[in-house]
Amino acid sequence: MKDKVCVLGAGSTKYGKLNDSIIEIALNASKDAIDSAGITPNDIQAGYISNVFGVADKQVHMAPVILSNLGIPHVPGLTIESACGSGSVMFREAYANIAAGFYDCVLGLGVEKITHTGTTQSTTLFSYCSDFFYEGGNGASFPGLFASIARAYMTSYKANEEDLANVAVKNHENGILNPKAHVQRKITVDDVLKSPVVASPLKLYDCCPFSDGASAVILCNEEFAKKVGRPYVEVIGSGRGASPAAVQARKDITTIPSTVDAAKQAYKMANITPKDIDFAEVHDCFTIAEVIDIEDLGFFPKGTAVHAIREGATRRNGEIPINPSGGLKSKGHPIGATGIGQVVEVFEQFIGKAGDREIKNAEYALTHNFGATGASSAVHIFRRVG
Amino acid sequence: MELLAQAQQFISLEGWDKEGLSEMKQQQQKDLSSREKFIKSANAGKILANKCLRCGHIMLETIYYCEKCFGNKFEPVEFEGIGNMVTYTTQDVAPEGFEDTESYAWVVFKVDNAPFRVSGFLPGVKSAKGLSIGTKVKVSSFSPKHGLLLQKI
Repeated sequence: MKDKVCVLGAGSTKYGKLNDSIIEIALNASKDAIDSAGITPNDIQAGYISNVFGVADKQVHMAPVILSNLGIPHVPGLTIESACGSGSVMFREAYANIAAGFYDCVLGLGVEKITHTGTTQSTTLFSYCSDFFYEGGNGASFPGLFASIARAYMTSYKANEEDLANVAVKNHENGILNPKAHVQRKITVDDVLKSPVVASPLKLYDCCPFSDGASAVILCNEEFAKKVGRPYVEVIGSGRGASPAAVQARKDITTIPSTVDAAKQAYKMANITPKDIDFAEVHDCFTIAEVIDIEDLGFFPKGTAVHAIREGATRRNGEIPINPSGGLKSKGHPIGATGIGQVVEVFEQFIGKAGDREIKNAEYALTHNFGATGASSAVHIFRRVG
Repeated sequence: MELLAQAQQFISLEGWDKEGLSEMKQQQQKDLSSREKFIKSANAGKILANKCLRCGHIMLETIYYCEKCFGNKFEPVEFEGIGNMVTYTTQDVAPEGFEDTESYAWVVFKVDNAPFRVSGFLPGVKSAKGLSIGTKVKVSSFSPKHGLLLQKI
């Protein structure tokens, strides 16, 4: 790598049901990130945009439209899609271009608007992110796919529905402290267990909501960050992984190979181990996903995460706080934005703007985000500076 | 003249000898896409796979290069579309195109005697409680609307 890469600014809209157009949502987050970095649009040399369902709000080829409306129509843009992992996959490309020395400063923006389509159409659109010939085309929804993963995990490791509910309760507990969160509601294990079944064995509170929203970051090299003189966070590890697209093609349904590979690369690049991570934002689209993630990321041995969660190890004051932002479960899941939203949380934590959800004395943080049932993953590791 | 003869042959098979007919069938089979071949087998209750001529690895017909050695010369192998469920779910919110079906399960099953699993649509399942991992299913057909149709056996 030629240059050290830094996050100099970050901003998010509220996640939830938003009335603005997808472009306005994108611009609002971009403006927050630009202002927080202390730069002007004129400093941005390229724009990386992640989005999946722009067509549902009558807009594709989104990058030039967003950059034009930021007053920088001459700046080259690229729109990236990798299902629910679009944000982190895009972040990796933006990171790589700064690290390689192509640019000094870029905008990384993730955006989604989906809630206006209604539950059935959203469910259908999401099913297009699966290996459709074998999954969506045979009637599988995303809750269904993760329910099948949950059933395999629960059978293999003797976990139960209450174990999954513990994840939801913890993430909602964190999300209450996040003013940008979509579902700011305290829930109990009983609430989860009594909520309607969406896809057996997953119930409503095991599932993240469909959300609108945008998150943006300003990425730059170290020289640029120092010149601006604002607080920044260093990106010290980046990994990408891939898994067979269809669940049927995985030898072991209870692990996500793309997460394991991406994490190994990121830890190696950062020259640290899972034990060094002070908190992590992981992809909890469904409660079972968080259980599997934190094993695949090396925080807990296979089959033991549910015990650690039950004992409080993943709470904000636990051994390894997971999803202090509230995660996808409570903060929400605007799928094109989610991976960048995780970086926004890390940035706010490290520059002292996370309020009551701050993880004290944290030095290293990890973000993990995947597409579909984990066909594509990216893991990034960050270090507090100063 | 040649075109006219070809047209006549397509309109009527009169005048074709058995060898010619067989060649045409082979050509038609060759012209099917990978997924069309898979679907044709599914309609006969089978799962179509390919055996790599270089290393012998067996994989689903829909994969274009050998997963082990990356060879692309295969011999087709059909398996009986029968196997045990590896995992499954029932859903209360179905994607578009599936609203008109009675409750169903989406199922992953291990194909007997094959080294792979396949997913399918199992209609008529009122509750997940009626199923369990290990339940035996078989392929009944392939529906353009609902994909690989299964039934319990």
